[in-house]
This record gives sequence, structure tokens and C-alpha cells, in this order.
Amino acid sequence: MRAGRFILGSAALVAVPWIVAALLPGQQRYVLHVLIFTALYGSLALSYDLVVGHVGSLSLAHPAFFGLGAYTAALLATEGHWPFAAALPAGVGLAALVALAVGVPMFRLTEHSFAMGTLGFAIVTQVVATNWVDFTHGPLCVTGIPKPQVGALRIATLPAFYWMGLATLALVALLYRGLTTFRLGRAFHAVRDNETLAAAASIDPLKYRMLGFVIGGAVAGGVGALYVSYVGVLCPGELTVSLSVNLLVMIFLGGIGTLRGVLVGAAAFTALPEVLRMAPNWRMVIYGLLLLVIVIRAPDGLEGLIRRGSSLGRRPWGA
Amino acid sequence: MALFETRGLTKRFLGVTAVDGVDLSVEAGELVSLIGPNGSGKTTLFNCVTGYLVPDEGRVTFRGRDVTGVAAHRIARLGVGRTFQLVSVFPRLSAIENLLTFLQQHQEESLVGRLVRAPRVRRLEAAAVERARSLLDSVGLAARADVPAGTLSYGQRKLLAFAAALMPDPELLLLDEPAAAINPTMIEQMKAQIRALHREGKTVLLVEHNMDVVMDISQRVIVLDHGQKIAEGPPEVVRRDPKVVEAYFGR
Amino acid sequence: MSDLAEQLVHGLTLGSLYAMVAAGLALMFGVVRLINFAHGEFYMLGGYAFWYAYAELGLPYPVAGLVAVAAMGVFGLVYERAVIRAILARTWHVQLIATLATSITLTNLAILVFGTQPKEVPTRLSAAILDVGGVRLAWQRLLVLGAAVAIFAGLEWFVRHARLGKAMRAVSQNREACAVVGVDVQQVALATFGISAGLAGAAAALVSPLFSIFPDVGALLTLKAFAAVIVGGFGYVRGAIAAAVLIGIAESLAAGYVSYAYKDAIAFVVMVVVLLVRPQGLFGRRIGI
Repeated sequence: MRAGRFILGSAALVAVPWIVAALLPGQQRYVLHVLIFTALYGSLALSYDLVVGHVGSLSLAHPAFFGLGAYTAALLATEGHWPFAAALPAGVGLAALVALAVGVPMFRLTEHSFAMGTLGFAIVTQVVATNWVDFTHGPLCVTGIPKPQVGALRIATLPAFYWMGLATLALVALLYRGLTTFRLGRAFHAVRDNETLAAAASIDPLKYRMLGFVIGGAVAGGVGALYVSYVGVLCPGELTVSLSVNLLVMIFLGGIGTLRGVLVGAAAFTALPEVLRMAPNWRMVIYGLLLLVIVIRAPDGLEGLIRRGSSLGRRPWGA
Repeated sequence: MALFETRGLTKRFLGVTAVDGVDLSVEAGELVSLIGPNGSGKTTLFNCVTGYLVPDEGRVTFRGRDVTGVAAHRIARLGVGRTFQLVSVFPRLSAIENLLTFLQQHQEESLVGRLVRAPRVRRLEAAAVERARSLLDSVGLAARADVPAGTLSYGQRKLLAFAAALMPDPELLLLDEPAAAINPTMIEQMKAQIRALHREGKTVLLVEHNMDVVMDISQRVIVLDHGQKIAEGPPEVVRRDPKVVEAYFGR
Repeated sequence: MSDLAEQLVHGLTLGSLYAMVAAGLALMFGVVRLINFAHGEFYMLGGYAFWYAYAELGLPYPVAGLVAVAAMGVFGLVYERAVIRAILARTWHVQLIATLATSITLTNLAILVFGTQPKEVPTRLSAAILDVGGVRLAWQRLLVLGAAVAIFAGLEWFVRHARLGKAMRAVSQNREACAVVGVDVQQVALATFGISAGLAGAAAALVSPLFSIFPDVGALLTLKAFAAVIVGGFGYVRGAIAAAVLIGIAESLAAGYVSYAYKDAIAFVVMVVVLLVRPQGLFGRRIGI
């Protein structure tokens, strides 16, 4: 029975720290670290897929929202001594507000211009983060970001962070599901697949694009806040264009517009290089080539390849 | 009071005046055709009155209400349906899902109501499906209800687009070249559909190049040339109008 | 006063660089309607080609410069064949992502091959200073300006009088009609890429003595060139050149008088402002290059 399998699967996921300790003694720290990163990247990828895969807006601004949430939480926690329970929502809130402010002018642009505009915004954000040293510490980075403490609960150990990551991923996945099904999902997809016709069907393209963009940005901000609470350090190098490329690889690799596909892509992207112990530059060369090949040959990613047998695979970017 | 009116409607692009001071009005229940040689501004006019383009001058009124420059989705919501010259469907959705998409914004339910899946919501959705099926049936696509719209033939997609536009029961229907690029059998089918709409009391304004269709079903014909209205009247009168003949053949 | 003059000259130098890169980008967009995210990497690779020819092989400056231009010209042709041909018919999302992926690949390959340490390639002209009434400028800067003017004049002549150039213009105005009339659109696309890449190579040979060469230099350059293309009116080469010069001057003045740190943001601020206020570009929507 499906509920039974679901409960069993969830229990297994929760029990991972002990399973890993039992099966791979001595490797527990490393494996948990990889899993935590996978959960965070998975959440980020889902929030990006919402914007790109479901609403169809090719935004390159996501690293900026991730960074805004990260910097807000980091600075509030270190300089303002805000507790995590307040810093996290502040990060989410700021990212959402900026997404709203930026989205209004951006969505007046079409296609290439929108992509370029969002990219320009991401660049400006990075330049500011790097250069406003008085505020963001610039290349000196924000250090000593405290571990989250919610009341009596202190998240300081790797298993605790793992559960935090797992909970985040579960929540984001739930949100993703909720937003992409039912009436709202249909409205998003209508705008993505045929904006002109969507308007003829009384669906306001701007409203739904903004909704997707702001929610996606807000979640990215939240992931940013969680990320810094785990890593403890925040440098401007975290918000580069490379992050957009990484996210694109994740969603295209696994299957754009599908929950399972994006998670698979994020897992493959994060876990694989750890397993292969690739040097960062070689890693990016491989990713670049991989993305190039995938986007040309199989824009649906792995999911599409699996589903290719059926009569009509989903082709989001097909000619 | 006319259901739908334009006064002095003007639209310019890059130095070309595509629509030039056009006055037209359509009464409720009329079946009117808009004809003219290629490039006479017919589709531009359609786009201006349905909110896809903002006119440079002039006014558009629907049911007495000024809708000049109002966004397309709001005009659609007011009860204006349209089809497009290049047939437009949601390719990845099934035929029936295409139709349901056209009704969803019209189904007002509160967020809480929807979350709780109240019986009322269920009833509304069932009614929507019912309506969609009967519309598909009336255009002969009942057998294809669950097939992705992208796999349908051009003619079938045209019929689907037609049915979809009808889903929210619009008062005014604007059809852009409903008889273009489809075989004679389908043309007859389309004509029958349009006549049926007319009998039901719907107001239809269509743009069409196929003169047989125009002459056959229209109550009134309006002729555009170079963005200007050059003639207007019953089909037989317009067809003999020397200005119309010259517009089509005199160049 | 001399300070302002120096900033302006610096701005013109920068503007010339941006203009040469942006012209290539505008050419590509105008002729084949493609946004090439990897364009900055043409400049970067041209820079390394120039460095290799001049510093490693010891070739004289003009020869090394021509080597860079030729190398990039060839690379442009290879790139068109290998990557562009596969994505010409696809949607712009695919094109953007594919060229972005290429950009990342090339940048990281450059890091692996050449390392991250910037290469300095000073020439006699970049070291020699000309003093004009208190304004001190390197001779190289004058060379950049002069060469840029010559190159653009050459480009203008090419597009108006050479057969291939006229074909490129024709394709940019109406591709379908050209195919019908028998213009070899494939060949035109190939040539467009070769020329655009060659332009970037020339820019690298001219400007590298003044600025250093490093693997990441392409990224910001691509974006600033885009800003110029957008401001100039997508695909209008002369507009892109004018906009690029404007951006170069604005950036230099901002660096001098506002804040050196934020100079890189200027191009994007200009771009976003123009996009919002006049989305068709400063010179309006035009048909053809």
C-alpha cells in the first residue's frame, strides 16, 4: 500500500545518520556533509525550477536571491545578534521583497532582454557584495556565523544539520508540488506554454510570472540563510553566475519541470563530483560540456530519456 | 446601444498606419464579417480591440464600457472570446484540459473553500467537465478528448481552439480566419458551428478571406483597405461596390 | 582638467574595446539572430593567443597581433560548425544555455591550461608615454583608438561593398528571402562567426598590452558588450558601437569620480535603465545590421 511505502521510506530517510554510521563507519562525517549539501542544493534547484520550468521565465537572478537571504541572515546573526528563528524569515522576507521590486520592471522585458536584465541584476548584486566592504566584509567574508538555535533546540551536530536539510527539502518539495498542481499549476503552465492564449483564457501572465518569480526568490533566500548557518562563513564568491549555470545543469540533467527529475539532477550534480573527487575546474569543464550536450540532444534530461518511449515526451524547449 | 464599438481607432507601426481612424459597431446578436486585402489591418484591429495592442488613437467600447488599452486577460474576462490567425492551443494539455483552462479563472472560489474541497467546488468542477465534453462533442472531437492537443491535426486544433473560446460562454466572439487552411468538409463544419452560435444569440465578428464563407453566412460585411473602412453593408451590396472591387483587384 | 582628459582617454580606450567586442556580438545577432554568451571567451582566447605569439614565441608585435586575429577567426569558424550549427534552429533558451555552457567550459579549460595568474604583455607602445599638455597617455592607447576607427571603417566598407558583406546584410534583413534567392545562408553564418571572433581577437591584440589577460576576463566583457548591444538596439552594429563607446566613457568617469569599486556595475545600470525607458534601444528598432 502506498502509504505504507511512504512511511517506510520516510523512516529510512530519517534514520540515515544511524544507517551510515553502521554501514560506513569512519565515513559518517563526509557522507552526511554530502547529503546536507544535496538537500540544500535540491531545495534551491526546486525553487529555480519553479521559475524556469513551470512558469517558463528564464531568470538568471537566482544567485542574487540566494545571496540576499544568505547575507541578511549572516549579518543579522553576527552583527545584530538575531536568533536564527528571526534571521531566517528576515532572509526570506528580504529576498521576496527584492524579487517583487526587481520583477516589476524585469517582466516588462521580453525574452532575451529579460534574461539579460536578470543577469545584469545578479552581476550588480555580486559587485555590491564584493565591494561594499564596510557592510558585507567583501572578500574578507562574514565569519563566525552561529549555529542555529531555536529555543532549547541547538542544531550543531552533523546529524542535526542533516535532519534540518531533510526537513527543508521535504517542505520545499511539498510547496513545489502544491504550487505546480491544481488551478495555480495550470495557470503557470498556461503562461509558460502559450502566453498569448493564456491571456485569451483570462489568465494574467504578469501576475503569474511575478508570483512564481517572488516565491522562487523567497525560497532561494531561505536556502541561503540555512546554508550560511551550516557553513558558518559567507563570501561574495557564492553568488556568481556559475551558480546559475550549476542550477541549470541540475534541472536540465534530471528533467526540467518534474519534482523527481530535479531532485535526481541535484543529487547527481552534488554527490557525483564528491564521489569522483574532481578538481573544481575539471568539474566545471565537465559540467559545461554535459550541459551543452544535454541541452542540445535531450532538453528533458534524464526524465525525458526515460519517458522517451511514450508517445509524446514533454518538450519544454523544443523547436 | 451597440454591444461593441470602435471610434476613430488608429494604430501605427514604424511609420506605417495599419489601422486608420476606423469606426465600426456591432449590435448584439449580429453576425458580421470583416474583410479586406492582405495587409488591410484586419488582424491589427482584432489585436487592438482584444487588448494585445494598445491603439495610438481612438476608443474601443464593449457593452458601453471603455476598454481602450485594457489588457488582454481583462477583456477576455469581460466576456470577449477570440481565436487566432495562427491556430493556438496548449500543446501539452489534452483537448479537454485545454477547454478547462479557459474556464478556470471564471470559477470563483475562495482559497479556503478550495483547500477544504467543499462539495460546491466539486460540483463546479464536475459541471466544467460536463460542459467541456459537450462542447468537444459539438465540434466532433469527443473521441479525442484525452489526447494531447499538440498531436491533433491542424483542422482539429482549429476546432479545438474554437471550442475553447466558447468555454466561458462569451457574449462576443472574434474569429480570426476560421476557414483558413482547412479542407472543404471542415469549412462546412465551421460554417455550421458559426451559424449555430448566431442562432443561439451570440454576437460574432469574423475576419475572413474566403469569400464563399463570408457571403454565405454574414448578415453584414465591413471592408477595410489600407487600414481604412471603405464599405459596409449586406454581403450582396458590398460585393458589387466598385471601391471594394478596386481594392481587391485594382492594384 | 588633465585628470578629466585622462579619464576620457581611458574611457575611449575602454569604449573601443567594448565596441570591437560588441560589434561582433551585434553582427551575430543581426545576421543569425543568436545571442552568443561565449563571446567574451573569444576575446580571452585571443588574448592568450596574442600572449603566446608575442611573449612565448617572440614574434614582433604586428605579427603577433595578426596571429591572434587569424587564430580567433579560425576558432570562430570551428565554433560555428561545432556548436552554433546545432542550435541555430532551436529556441533562444536552448541557445542561451548552450552558449553559456560553452563559456563556462572554455573559461575553466583556460584555467587548467594557463593557470589563474594574469599574464602581463607589455609592449614598447604600452610603456612609452606621450605627454600632451599635461595629459599623459601611453602610445598604445592612441593605437587602440586609431585601429578601432580603421577596423570599423573597414567593417562598414565590407558590409556595403563586399559581396560577402552585402550577403550578410541581406540575410540580416530577410533571411527567408535570401534563401529563396540563392544566397548561401550557411556560408554567411560561418563568415559572420569568423569575422566576429576575428574582431575580438583584434581587440585582444590591441588592448592586452594595457590590461592583463586572465581566464575570467570574458565573463564581464560579454555582459558589458551585451549591454551595449541592447542599448544600441539589438543587431544594429553602428548602434552597438556607439553605445559601447558611451558605456566605456561612463565607466571610466564613474571609476574616477564616483567609485572605482562599482565601475563594473555602470554598464548594467545603463542597460537596465535603457531597457525600461526605451526598450527598443537608443536608436530604435531597425531592420538589418
